[in-house]
Amino acid sequence: MAVFDPDTARSRRVRIAAVGFVALAAVATAGAFAADPSESVPEPVRFDDAVELGLSSETDALMAGDATLPRVQVFYSQLQYVVGYNGVGAFVDSRSDGRTERQFGYPLVAYVETFDHRDPGRTDSGLFSATGAGGWTPVGEARYVVGSDARTPAGEVVVPFRDREAAAAFAADHGGSVVGWEAVRTRSFDVDSAATVRSLAPERWRTATGRLAAAEERADRPVSVVVGEDAPTIDAAVAAAPPNTTVRVPPGTYKENVTVNRSVTIAGAGAGGERGDAGATRVVGNGTGSVITVRAPDVALTGMRIAGTGNETRDPEAARESRDPEGEAWDTNIQLGYGHGDAGIKAVGAPGLVVDDVAIDAGASGLLLREGSHATVRELFVDGTDEWQEGFMGITGMESRVTVTDSRFEGGRDGIYLHRADGSVVRNSTFADNRYGTHLMYTGDALVADNAFRNELFAGVTVMTRPAGNAIVGNDVRGSSAGIQASGTRTYVGHNTLVGNELGFSTSARGSLYEHNVVVDNELGARATTVVPSSRVVANDFVGNDDHAAAGAGALRVWADGDRGNYWEGANVGPHDPGSRAYRPTSPVDAALHREAGAVTVRESPAARLLDRLRGTVPGARSGSIVDPAPATEPYHPDRVDAVTGADAGADGPVRTDWRVASDPDGNATATAEGSA
Amino acid sequence: MRSSLGGVWVVFRRELTTVGRTPGYAVLAVGLLVVLGGLVAVGGGGATGFVPAVVDLLLPTEVLVPLLAVVLGYRALYADAASGELAVIRTYPVSAVAYVLGVLLARTVALFALVGGPFALVGAYVWLTAAPDTGIFATHAGVDSPVLFVRFVALVVPFGAAYLSLSAAVSTIATSRRSAVALGVLALLAGILGGDLAVLRSLSAGASPSGIAESIAFTPNGAFRGLVFEHVIGVAFAPEGGFVDTGRAVASLVGWCLLGAAAAVAAVAFGSRVDVAVERLRGRLGR
Repeated sequence: MAVFDPDTARSRRVRIAAVGFVALAAVATAGAFAADPSESVPEPVRFDDAVELGLSSETDALMAGDATLPRVQVFYSQLQYVVGYNGVGAFVDSRSDGRTERQFGYPLVAYVETFDHRDPGRTDSGLFSATGAGGWTPVGEARYVVGSDARTPAGEVVVPFRDREAAAAFAADHGGSVVGWEAVRTRSFDVDSAATVRSLAPERWRTATGRLAAAEERADRPVSVVVGEDAPTIDAAVAAAPPNTTVRVPPGTYKENVTVNRSVTIAGAGAGGERGDAGATRVVGNGTGSVITVRAPDVALTGMRIAGTGNETRDPEAARESRDPEGEAWDTNIQLGYGHGDAGIKAVGAPGLVVDDVAIDAGASGLLLREGSHATVRELFVDGTDEWQEGFMGITGMESRVTVTDSRFEGGRDGIYLHRADGSVVRNSTFADNRYGTHLMYTGDALVADNAFRNELFAGVTVMTRPAGNAIVGNDVRGSSAGIQASGTRTYVGHNTLVGNELGFSTSARGSLYEHNVVVDNELGARATTVVPSSRVVANDFVGNDDHAAAGAGALRVWADGDRGNYWEGANVGPHDPGSRAYRPTSPVDAALHREAGAVTVRESPAARLLDRLRGTVPGARSGSIVDPAPATEPYHPDRVDAVTGADAGADGPVRTDWRVASDPDGNATATAEGSA
Repeated sequence: MRSSLGGVWVVFRRELTTVGRTPGYAVLAVGLLVVLGGLVAVGGGGATGFVPAVVDLLLPTEVLVPLLAVVLGYRALYADAASGELAVIRTYPVSAVAYVLGVLLARTVALFALVGGPFALVGAYVWLTAAPDTGIFATHAGVDSPVLFVRFVALVVPFGAAYLSLSAAVSTIATSRRSAVALGVLALLAGILGGDLAVLRSLSAGASPSGIAESIAFTPNGAFRGLVFEHVIGVAFAPEGGFVDTGRAVASLVGWCLLGAAAAVAAVAFGSRVDVAVERLRGRLGR
């Protein structure tokens, strides 16, 4: 500090500078209070750059043709990312339970896509359609047509317009009334949630049971032809058999390729177990193409062992096209390519296929289904190639819904690969040494339940693209690169047991529910991936993982449902009331609590306690971490934790759960809070 | 009038020089910077923006800024009185008001530099480093803005000034250096904890919660915290407000400053007469 002498020029300069500084500070301060930061409204962005929540835009109905969804982009006060909603209803619904506001703050501004001059109308199937690209209008300034005859795959569509005249014109053509934002905002929308999927899972199980029973009945037909007695070959026997009868194939080896063009049952003496004993019926192809090709509905194949498939895994023509840099035709090319390889059993346009007690030594696919070959499969054993690059899928289902139970898939590429096979059910099956165990692409409303996955090279269950409504329940994945990696929306991942994997599960699916999973001894228990959190992760047990959880880029994830959190081994050590301290698996101190006793000493420091208190406020503006504000004091499923860590931990069989009782809305449902996530 | 202003200016300059020759104050500012910087760096709030940074800093600010203000103030008036310099100064045409104002203004300027500097540096750090995790998606700042941090710092200064003024007033009744420390600590504790405890007590005694927004504004800490919620952090939440009665909170902070100054003026102006009166009383009682 200078010594002032009031009479020198230097002192005068200092005085002038001081006065200037004070004036500047005063102006800046006044300005800071006069300016309203919430008034600076950002401009709309390209929708592709927003983080999408809500209904997926990748439903089959929308991807084909002009059908579209009015979209909304929202700038939340605390969240750095722009959030995009498919459908006005999805945005309105997200505001209903207050959870979004707690996480992201309030919407600074929301823009809705408007359809003036875009030829709005409806497709043949009644879906809302439009052409061209629209403008973005603040939600409060737009006019909306409600109750028109156009729909979205999710139900009612609210169609926004910038001008009242355009809205009125649409309403005149398609019915409905023109309302303002207030009326839309207070409307209630029937938006499905992951909790709906959970309640549907037991129903899907029962549906599968029904399909299996019906299949068994369908396959049970009177014997008309016996191979070796009435006809020399299976192929000849099938050609001779009247429809709806059984071709019996006695034990023995049949070297031939069979084509089935009529609805018959081909019944062998048995697959002979996994190794193939003497009493088995063997059908051995010539090493090219598929061994049995089915081109008729309601064919049943039972009790046989199949070998001698070709090793062409896909159509080489289509595979070449798929390298097309345009990338537009990728989906088509996958279908063409993946659907046209060799297989033990290949079904084309053959709905109602029944496969029961069949073993396949597969050089390419075991069972290949294409063009609506909906199949029920029981006790199928596919022994694939040792190196996944050389073989193909145990079951390849292209636009064919499968129902699989009590089957086993070893080696090869993927155990089961489904492409646009909505409503498929895979249950009670075993997968080992595949690339992926079960792999869903563009496949929604499926149930993957009570399966065991062992030593999968990439993952046990994986869902790619962005389908909706899948339930992945009661599976047991061990020794794999990843347990469950499901993307998409409204996915229910519950009651799975994930042990000794590199990664237990990732939360890639949005608006989804991850609960009652037991995650033990993995290198990493769970990884939070989506940038904007929109899912619930609650009532999972994390025990003995090197790290319980990690988070990628994005806003803070709060893994709890109200005051109900997850069980984290180590979260409650230390001198405090159990469950009263928030647990942050991504903090280096909390992450070490279950491994290093010394971590407790750090955690109880005033500095750590102070920081603990601060996390969780303005969550949308914090990044890259996970907090559980209410960690459970006891595991939710101690029986399952014991089963995989206790004395019997070496047992290879899958851990069974009671999820069908717990999730059934009619049964004794557990006290899990409902609501959209 | 001219002479009294001149008196303030002279005392102000003298006091500023005193502060400037006390290197301990600069060390305090460095300490404050270390604590604030550490919180912002480790707390993670500063990584994404100003509002989370303010959330992380609010609690330590409520403790550390009063502490620094009390350190600046607890000997401000006592030291001159104890050394006899005050008696000498009073022989010059410098009124008690001018003397107290000069001292307080100089100390407030020092407070502004010692507190504002570290906060400004922390703000600059946040400005330079805060960024979204990923550039894959479109991002925006939300309501976050440097303006909010300027508001925060602008609230910190009167908050500290209130403590400075009060601790200076308290220091006038200290009779030794030790008692000055004790009184300063007492003022600190009473301010940081006392007011909020009183509000809690009144609530548990049955006071209506609807009066909180007004009653919390009476204490410096309550007023400061309320203003930060209302004008900085609350901006990120739905625009409802009502964390504190803004007018009352501002009046409270200004009022505490003026009260401290007035009490100090009174003590300087009439302290000796009170001493005489007390001695006389004691003499009478003794007899």
